[in-house]
Amino acid sequence: MSGLPLRWPTLAFVGGTLTILLSGCVVADGGYGYDGGYEYGGGIGAAYYEPYGADYGGWGPGYRVAPYRGGDHRLTGGDGHASEHTYRSAPASRSMPSIPSQSRSDGLRSR
Amino acid sequence: MHLQHNSSMINSIAPNRIGAQKTQTDQARYFLGQWLLAALLGILSATPARADPIQLPAIVEPATQEHHVGKVIFVELVTPDLAAAKQFYAGLFGWTFRDTQADGIEYAEAFLDGHPVAGLVHKAVPAGEHRQPAWLSFFAVGDVDAAEEIALQNGAKVLFEPHSVPDRGQEAVFADPQGAVFAVLTSSSGDPPDIMATPGEWIWSSLITSDPDTDAAFYQALFNYEVFELPASKGAQHLLLASDNYARASANTLPANRPHAHPHWLNYVRVKNTVKMTAKVVVLGGRVLVEPRVDRHGGKVAVVADPLGAPFGLLEWPDTENKEVRK
Repeated sequence: MSGLPLRWPTLAFVGGTLTILLSGCVVADGGYGYDGGYEYGGGIGAAYYEPYGADYGGWGPGYRVAPYRGGDHRLTGGDGHASEHTYRSAPASRSMPSIPSQSRSDGLRSR
Repeated sequence: MHLQHNSSMINSIAPNRIGAQKTQTDQARYFLGQWLLAALLGILSATPARADPIQLPAIVEPATQEHHVGKVIFVELVTPDLAAAKQFYAGLFGWTFRDTQADGIEYAEAFLDGHPVAGLVHKAVPAGEHRQPAWLSFFAVGDVDAAEEIALQNGAKVLFEPHSVPDRGQEAVFADPQGAVFAVLTSSSGDPPDIMATPGEWIWSSLITSDPDTDAAFYQALFNYEVFELPASKGAQHLLLASDNYARASANTLPANRPHAHPHWLNYVRVKNTVKMTAKVVVLGGRVLVEPRVDRHGGKVAVVADPLGAPFGLLEWPDTENKEVRK
């Protein structure tokens, strides 16, 4: 009986503290990590950083990244099925497409 | 007398016992109240973490019913200095910004002539640590959960599980089989129309990777791309990825002389004059990573980094075809 006044404050303190700690740990999203050196965080979008110290450049004379303006610039024609590649090549009959050319003022539908 | 004595003793003890029990009950009630109060405080303390996520703008306003699977429909920058990034991109492209802050997150929507062009997110970098800011590409998909399943079946890693962002749609972030990071998004407002970018808008994306062949197969499985082979130097592979009969991206082998380079997506902003814009990048505190050079389409491209280090491309797309390089 005499212990009751001591137990209740203790229980109240411990229970309250635990509740605070546990509820404070609930976070909707966040703290995403990745072993590749990327760092994520969020709840929105996908805020991430690439691995630091990434090297850039070294593009030689034949290094091209842009699309063609149009017309067919096919190097080889795929048959759409068998190839030495992991992917399926576009059929040889397909001409290589370019990026959309219609302007916004021409109308929103461009196809 | 004895009985009376006992009786008086009982009478004197009984009120004490009743009083003690009452005191204990009061104490129990008091401490139960205290405990409930503490628990309530605990729940209230957790409320901010459970608050609704930040409200992000739709990527298409007004909403459309267009969907272009495999198209890069949005890009988002993560940066440790939002103010500096905004100043840089405003000075370079004339972007304007609308700030949003909620849930401890600072976000800036970037606009060009009233059209949304990008999102900028602030994320602090702990003191003494180094991080590489980057632009993240969001590809349109019809179903993010289905995209996750296909991505996993084809060797991707899930970095950010599918989740909904109010007014934006459902999105997820993956690393492709070579480690290049990208996001998929099912936009709740539809996808931007297939129109020519104006200067200052994103016009192109390229994947620079250790294995274009495998990656092309991966993205083909994910976005049903058509894959076209392009001329490339010996030991390298240059591919073009297309959907809806439009070129969507290129895939190139990582340069062999860059052993520390890692696979990544790079997005390009259309500019009128790449040389002048690279000079402007430097004036504004950025760096030139790849000097301006003529590319397939006859215009010049360059790769630069903003003052915080986020790389992006500049691509000049002449209005006429007289500068076209046919190779």
